[in-house]
Amino acid sequence: TLRLICTTTTAVQKKNVGASGPEKYTEAFIKKQIEEFNLGKRHLANMMGEDPETFTQEDIDRAIAYLFPSGLFDEQARPVMKHPNEVFPEQRKIQWGEDGRPFNFLFYTGKQSYYSLMHETYEKLLNVQKHQDQLIAQDLPLQKEKRNLAGSRWLTKIELEEMLLEKVSDDDYSRFIQLLQKLVALPCADIEEKYIQKFSKEVPVQLQKVVIEPLQYDERGVAFSTGEGKRKTARATAVVYDNGTGKITVNGIDILHYFPVLQDREQLLFPFQFLGRIGKHDTVCTVSGGGRSAQAGAMRLATAKALRSFVTEKEVEFMRQAGLLTVDPRVKERKKPGQEGPRRKFTWKKR
Amino acid sequence: RIMPVRWNRYDPSYLEPEVKKESYQRPLEELTEEEREQMELKAVRLIKAAPPTLSSSVFSDPMISKFTNMMMKSGNKVLARNLMSQTLENIKRKQLEKYHKAPENEKETIECNPYVIFHQALKNCQPIIGLSNITRGGKTYQVPVPLTDNRKRFLAMKWLITECRENKHRRTMMPEKLSQELLLAFNNEGPVIKRKHVLHKMAEANRAYAHFRWW
Repeated sequence: TLRLICTTTTAVQKKNVGASGPEKYTEAFIKKQIEEFNLGKRHLANMMGEDPETFTQEDIDRAIAYLFPSGLFDEQARPVMKHPNEVFPEQRKIQWGEDGRPFNFLFYTGKQSYYSLMHETYEKLLNVQKHQDQLIAQDLPLQKEKRNLAGSRWLTKIELEEMLLEKVSDDDYSRFIQLLQKLVALPCADIEEKYIQKFSKEVPVQLQKVVIEPLQYDERGVAFSTGEGKRKTARATAVVYDNGTGKITVNGIDILHYFPVLQDREQLLFPFQFLGRIGKHDTVCTVSGGGRSAQAGAMRLATAKALRSFVTEKEVEFMRQAGLLTVDPRVKERKKPGQEGPRRKFTWKKR
Repeated sequence: RIMPVRWNRYDPSYLEPEVKKESYQRPLEELTEEEREQMELKAVRLIKAAPPTLSSSVFSDPMISKFTNMMMKSGNKVLARNLMSQTLENIKRKQLEKYHKAPENEKETIECNPYVIFHQALKNCQPIIGLSNITRGGKTYQVPVPLTDNRKRFLAMKWLITECRENKHRRTMMPEKLSQELLLAFNNEGPVIKRKHVLHKMAEANRAYAHFRWW
């Protein structure tokens, strides 16, 4: 952990000193906070009647929520008891010694950690190239093990900032990622695997296993299934019946009358057309809210979800990759104060 | 706090959806290495919802929808789509007239599919090189600059639309004028192609300033 040593120099004690960045915490202060936290944790455990040795952070949160119930809406305004390392942000040590000379040779560039990182990565790249040349000179085959693209991602800009403890601009971040990608693309990059792993994170397989409901049968013995969909403010429920003629009814009205625009009808038929089942199903839908296009989009999602029960798993995967099963998160952007609309600013008047 | 805006409603890890049915029916052996990697990536990552203008039917074409959006005024998509469909109908009618009047040996050369005509006309209108204003030492020079694919398509469509809106008789309807322009562009004639050639000539004339470009 990096902590700043004493700031109570005479310079800061003078009254007319300008703002000197965020508040710096001394080592001793943080140590005291940690001791107090541990003591407080044991007291809390005693109060709740539980074992002080095995009192985890979740137990602390529950205890605090019980002892200090707060009706505040903002979660971050409620009382919280956390380890000081999480509460006080990590800070950098003073970068120069007593004689005023900086420790790192790149200090005067302004972004010393970023540039030293770039230098290191480039050194690794050169190493890999040298190794490659050696292998070619000895006529040995170049190994090419495929890295699992799908399962890992690079560090985000914020994570990189936390790692380096200094601000990284967007340009710098993209240059760093490009350099890493270049390194990974070389065939003999396995040598530097450890170094690369520092900057890549495992992405857990995000897809939640969606449970596809089995078909239901109504009184006449016809199979049907239901689905719900939404888009902007429109909510739709669709019931898709088997052995049908391809008729679609919305709120009791035929789609030709309900959707005079061709685009909306095309959207409704999209899931059927994609699966090749245009004349085979009957649909009865109810929809409310939103506008013309939003209702069409909501119904498209509802029918696609209902059709999942009629179709093989592979085709469900194809539907997902065609974008039929994701809820469209785009909503109307709010108007901001000082502007006429979400993006449009007021007319600029010179005087 | 990050305010959710247009470009971050979706997480950057979401991929674009693939709507065409044919791409899902290809057997595994046909695909190249890259396509296989793409497939594996798609199987794991989340995918964005398909936009309302995109559909897997034969009639939806991304180029046509882009053109319709550019023709649209004040968000009146209904009108723009109607104009577009009337234009395509007009093109088909004119081509069919020509087809029925033409002698036997020429019948095969006449193209009747309005989508093919539209695509070919746009391709013929696309400029290869563009000009950009660069200011050096107080004077602004027109410097010849290579254009990206997107920019070329945009310029072709923009020229077609402005041409149809301005240089027509007061009484002619937009679909008629557009179909005329598209047929002329298909045969490499017409004012839009002329504008493209003028741009090329200007770029050729300003060749001397090409070294001003720093990208």
